Amino acid sequence: MSSGHLSQDEFFDKLGRLFNHRKSSDHGAIYLTQKRLAYDPSEQSTTAKLFPDLLPDKPLPIIIKATNGKSKRDRSDKEKLSTIVQPHELEAFYVRYADVCKAGMTLLKPRDKSKKKAKAKKKKATS
Amino acid sequence: MPYFKTSQEWLDHSVALLEARPSSTRVTTRYSIKPVKPRKQTTTTSSGDESTAPLDPKPPRGSLVLKTYDPASGVTLKYRTTKAAEVTRLMSAALGRLGKAMAGIQDVPEETMQDADAAVETPQGEQTPQQGAAAGGGGGGGGGKKKKKGKK
Repeated sequence: MSSGHLSQDEFFDKLGRLFNHRKSSDHGAIYLTQKRLAYDPSEQSTTAKLFPDLLPDKPLPIIIKATNGKSKRDRSDKEKLSTIVQPHELEAFYVRYADVCKAGMTLLKPRDKSKKKAKAKKKKATS
Repeated sequence: MPYFKTSQEWLDHSVALLEARPSSTRVTTRYSIKPVKPRKQTTTTSSGDESTAPLDPKPPRGSLVLKTYDPASGVTLKYRTTKAAEVTRLMSAALGRLGKAMAGIQDVPEETMQDADAAVETPQGEQTPQQGAAAGGGGGGGGGKKKKKGKK
């Protein structure tokens, strides 16, 4: 948390690098987290505390975090990124976000392979 | 910690959870890579070509797990996939919708209500902590919350 939040451009740039780094190894993980960016909870009124499902008066920003899953053991290798997305930027952010992730997640099954499997499954089900 | 069979189900439940607890719920996406164990040729009993597959190492495989977690009530909703074809839709549409719910934007259209089968998938474990929290926070608010959860 000590490191400051990045701008979105920087975040995507570094996220892309995080994925690239992962490509060269045969194991590991990347964690992406999103959460409402809540301000100091003590500032919340009693009503807000008692009825947390009530909507806030105005949209709140959300925070996006990314890490490479390294914990205390190898702290020096730990990569931590975070950026804040304002409500009006959400749409544009997620389009880019999906692009970066799609480009980075190269080890998932490609389309044609999964199709074959689905076919086989179907066959099995009918027989 | 249920895994949902379809991403739509996962999304529906996640939206419901976010609506109930917009401030504490987080969504985590884990993209993990695991090396594939080379298959050994020792299995003489099993027939077919597969057992005689060459020992050269296969490329490691990746998987994607989407998790919605509310630390306050302990509810965890998960969806797992290994298909590249789903990435764009999940990261953009699904997470985008959850992001909107987090931000508190209300123009999210209510689509596909699945009351019937949704009730089956609702994890039982979430009821208990809910009730505990409700007892501490006041009966009225807690009751409403619980009802909302069960319905979705």
